Amino acid sequence: MTRSLPIQQSNFELHPSGALYWVDQSMLLISDVHLGKVSHFRKYGAAVPQNAIAANFRLLDATVQDFHPEKICFLGDLFHSYLNGEWELFSEWVSKVKSEIILIAGNHDIISPLKYEGLGIKVVPELVIGQFLLTHHPEEREGLFNFAGHIHPAVKIRGQGRQSMRLPCFFKSPRQMILPAFGTFTGMHTLEQKNEDEVFAIAEDQVIKL
Amino acid sequence: MATKSTDRDKALYALAENWFRQQQWKPFPFQTKAWKTFLEGKHGLLNAPTGSGKTYALWFPIVLQYLKDNPDYKNKHPKGLKAIWITPLRALSLEIKQSAERVIRDLGTPLTVGIRSGDTSTKERAQQKRNMPDLLITTPESLQLLLASKGYDKQFRNCSAIVVDEWHELLGTKRGVQMELGLSRLKTVAPQLRIWGISATIGNLEQAREVLLGPASKALENSVLIRASIPKKIKVQSIIPDKMDNFPWRGHLGLHLMEDVVPIIERSRTTLLFTNTRGQCEIWYQRLLEKHPELAGLMAMHHGSIGKETRIWVEEAIRDERLKAVVCTSSLDLGVDFAPVETVVQIGGPKGVARFMQRAGRSGHRPGEESVIYFLPTHALELVEASALKKAVETQTVEDRLPFLYSYDVLLQYLTTLAVSDGFVPGEIFHEVRGTFCFQDLPEEQWQWLLNFLVMGSQSLKSYDEYKKVEVEDGIFKVTNRGVAMRHRLQIGTIVSDAQISVKYQKGGYIGTIEESFISKLKPGDVFTFAGRTLEFLRVKEMQAMVRNSRSKSTKTPSWMGGRLTLTSQMSELLREALYTAGEPVDQQTEEIRALESLFKRQRKESIVPKPSEFLIETFKTRDGYHHLFYPFEGRFVHEAMGSLLSYRISLLNPITFSLAFNDYGFELLSDQPIDMQQVLDNDLFTIEYMHEDLQNSLNSTEMARRKFRDIAVISGMVFTGYPNKGIKMKHLQSNSQLLFDVFRDYEPENLLFQQAFRETFEHQLEEGRLRMALERIAEQEVVWKDCKQPTPLSFPIITDGLREKLSSEKLADRIQRMIAKLQK
Repeated sequence: MTRSLPIQQSNFELHPSGALYWVDQSMLLISDVHLGKVSHFRKYGAAVPQNAIAANFRLLDATVQDFHPEKICFLGDLFHSYLNGEWELFSEWVSKVKSEIILIAGNHDIISPLKYEGLGIKVVPELVIGQFLLTHHPEEREGLFNFAGHIHPAVKIRGQGRQSMRLPCFFKSPRQMILPAFGTFTGMHTLEQKNEDEVFAIAEDQVIKL
Repeated sequence: MATKSTDRDKALYALAENWFRQQQWKPFPFQTKAWKTFLEGKHGLLNAPTGSGKTYALWFPIVLQYLKDNPDYKNKHPKGLKAIWITPLRALSLEIKQSAERVIRDLGTPLTVGIRSGDTSTKERAQQKRNMPDLLITTPESLQLLLASKGYDKQFRNCSAIVVDEWHELLGTKRGVQMELGLSRLKTVAPQLRIWGISATIGNLEQAREVLLGPASKALENSVLIRASIPKKIKVQSIIPDKMDNFPWRGHLGLHLMEDVVPIIERSRTTLLFTNTRGQCEIWYQRLLEKHPELAGLMAMHHGSIGKETRIWVEEAIRDERLKAVVCTSSLDLGVDFAPVETVVQIGGPKGVARFMQRAGRSGHRPGEESVIYFLPTHALELVEASALKKAVETQTVEDRLPFLYSYDVLLQYLTTLAVSDGFVPGEIFHEVRGTFCFQDLPEEQWQWLLNFLVMGSQSLKSYDEYKKVEVEDGIFKVTNRGVAMRHRLQIGTIVSDAQISVKYQKGGYIGTIEESFISKLKPGDVFTFAGRTLEFLRVKEMQAMVRNSRSKSTKTPSWMGGRLTLTSQMSELLREALYTAGEPVDQQTEEIRALESLFKRQRKESIVPKPSEFLIETFKTRDGYHHLFYPFEGRFVHEAMGSLLSYRISLLNPITFSLAFNDYGFELLSDQPIDMQQVLDNDLFTIEYMHEDLQNSLNSTEMARRKFRDIAVISGMVFTGYPNKGIKMKHLQSNSQLLFDVFRDYEPENLLFQQAFRETFEHQLEEGRLRMALERIAEQEVVWKDCKQPTPLSFPIITDGLREKLSSEKLADRIQRMIAKLQK
């Protein structure tokens, strides 16, 4: 179940996978997939479940299915490490996807842009579309609203009876939205919500505004 | 031939007895018995307390055996390792070495003694590798490291004895499993090996021997259990506050009674003050110095996070009687004598009779002399515990140490160790592994699973997979990748803690190590106390926290986990009995119970102090929500199990979310909605029917297994913690075990290591058997349910406990919606 949210007169859909769909641009924004991380760990002798690899691609497929976007823009940290076996799976996935793919390079994206270009993926440091700035690291820039990743935001909710829980979230401040990490093996970082912030937590198949 | 050897043995005993006579000592019967049986070639377990001369009971026969085997030792001294002495604490190795050297020197033998532990320099290690000392003192971890070096079988080939000191400390832990596995290998590579353990008194000594030697093994058949039976008088003296009115109801640091400790310190030569956590240790030290500057230079602190040099200095200072008082933790529980220690103070409940008695035994070392231990309660109800402890000491009621079963994580680590050194042939090792107590009857298919896991990182091979750890060459399982081998060596060990960071002065100078989780909460400029110093945090640089001295009043003290132990069933029973005397005539009460009269009065205002026939339930509402308290008095672990069982059963009636808290007296279910207690009673929710299934289901809804998984992930090598002391950064391989738990739950729940987390919770934490007995007892009792207006004294320590378990039967989204609704009200 997605949740609609207008930002600066543009329409967006928040998806429970952690992806953000930009309706007017038919562009799907996905951040911090960290492909290759499971394989990287396995290569170094840490037996992280292999099934988590396939799950990343299943999730990608399901999300793309929901919107059929013209463009998919990864907000960095698409690939976690140097080339490894997962690159083959990724190439295969790219060949099946009809959308145009853009990668905004993140700190983890150390694979040569030439490899991406070979798959028809454009690699850019950032992207400005209208009054929106798309980056990996959150940034503040005069006159632009920023979409970013990198942080893997989570929020802690407390309730009566000493209840508390931590959930991944879309974290929106007045001039910025940070997307949750999309990948299956990524972890979270808890952010404090201030008054002017809007937080959309992901609870299973729902996106709930706090 | 046989008689000849006996004559020769007699001559050897005479050598030992003469030595004792020269020291003007007389050997204890347990010592001579150990010498005799050892020389007869037997294995064994020696039950002897600290400070009884247990090291001489086994060093002597080791040296005598050498004399026996090498009559011409003066001209022909064979090189190589002859005996290993395992100690759980490397801090003890120096003393053990000294006592060995004394025997060697006085008997005029050319034997050499060496220490190998985490503190041993690389240079010395290399030297040892070329030329092993005759007698080696080491830790369980360092022994594993030896098994990880090439050609280890040659090093051990002529080893004739291994002594596992303080075996009771290892037994109930995964280090014990590590030891079992190590021994199973040594039995094969060192055919003449004699295995001996030394243990303090525990409830299951016979089992301790079985675990050490292997069930149904030849070694067990040919073994003895020797009990020292040295009568030791222990006097327990509670420090009772003059006025109970201001005394806290909940667990604290015990500082209220600090001034009562000062005269005790003044009266005795040296006093040891035992605290339960390192944090508490720091604060006590700090406060005592603040209030009593005259103690400066005469008082020291000792705990596991303090640098080695400082620890050694403190230990030597105790021995030389340069200190009046030492504030310490379990780091000083073990070890050889500290003769000048006259008095011991226990701050807060020790949560274990054996531990308490061992600490008491630290004082009054001369045989026959009475040991005095002062018990300082940190909150009112701990006086009940003090009363129970007295009884336990009187009746020698000590707890069992339960050995682990099927610790796959330790086994995987061990197999990798063997693969790193010379490689292993599964058929051979399977046989040895199954000979251990931990892995007796390990099913063949699980063994195969483990081998697959080592080689493929799972059970099937996928084309794109690049998993690399153990490889198979000609049927030999080995590690060929140098990186894998190096990381494994760094990772060997089963004591898991938070990642450690070294604390250093900016100008240089190492202070100690501290948990990363504490450092990560500090901002530059924050001031904290550590190792008795007030330090300003500057920054973290390459896994080191840089600090400088500060003069400002300290604000933060590191809090260390641990110290949350539980009462055993015997001790819980004594605790219940002590509490039940609250209703008896005053002259039948202990002074501790009498001192609690004002508290019991408060308790009776709205509730009751339960009698043996009563099971008390209290309910009340506070700002936090609806509290439901249950008092079985069965010890923390049983309460944890019962709490999760009951909350699970209640959650089946209605969607509800609980947070659970426990202590040794009872447990609490806290919720944002009230429970219909009548419904709980009518539905007979305390029944033992379907207990096992319900408990299992409740586990899936709580976090207990998640916490167990943390250790398992590290031990089995799936999470790499990094090594601050060695300056090796592995940032790219550090992951969080919580994240890993989620990934396993979602993508590979059938993994044996994931399953192990649940099984450990069951067997080790929840003690299902005890739960059943507790429920049967409750079924016989009359339920007294009191709906109170405010928290009662009995409830107070529980409801203020911050460490909580969760259980929910609500849908996540519903839960959030309701939490939001409440927040917006």
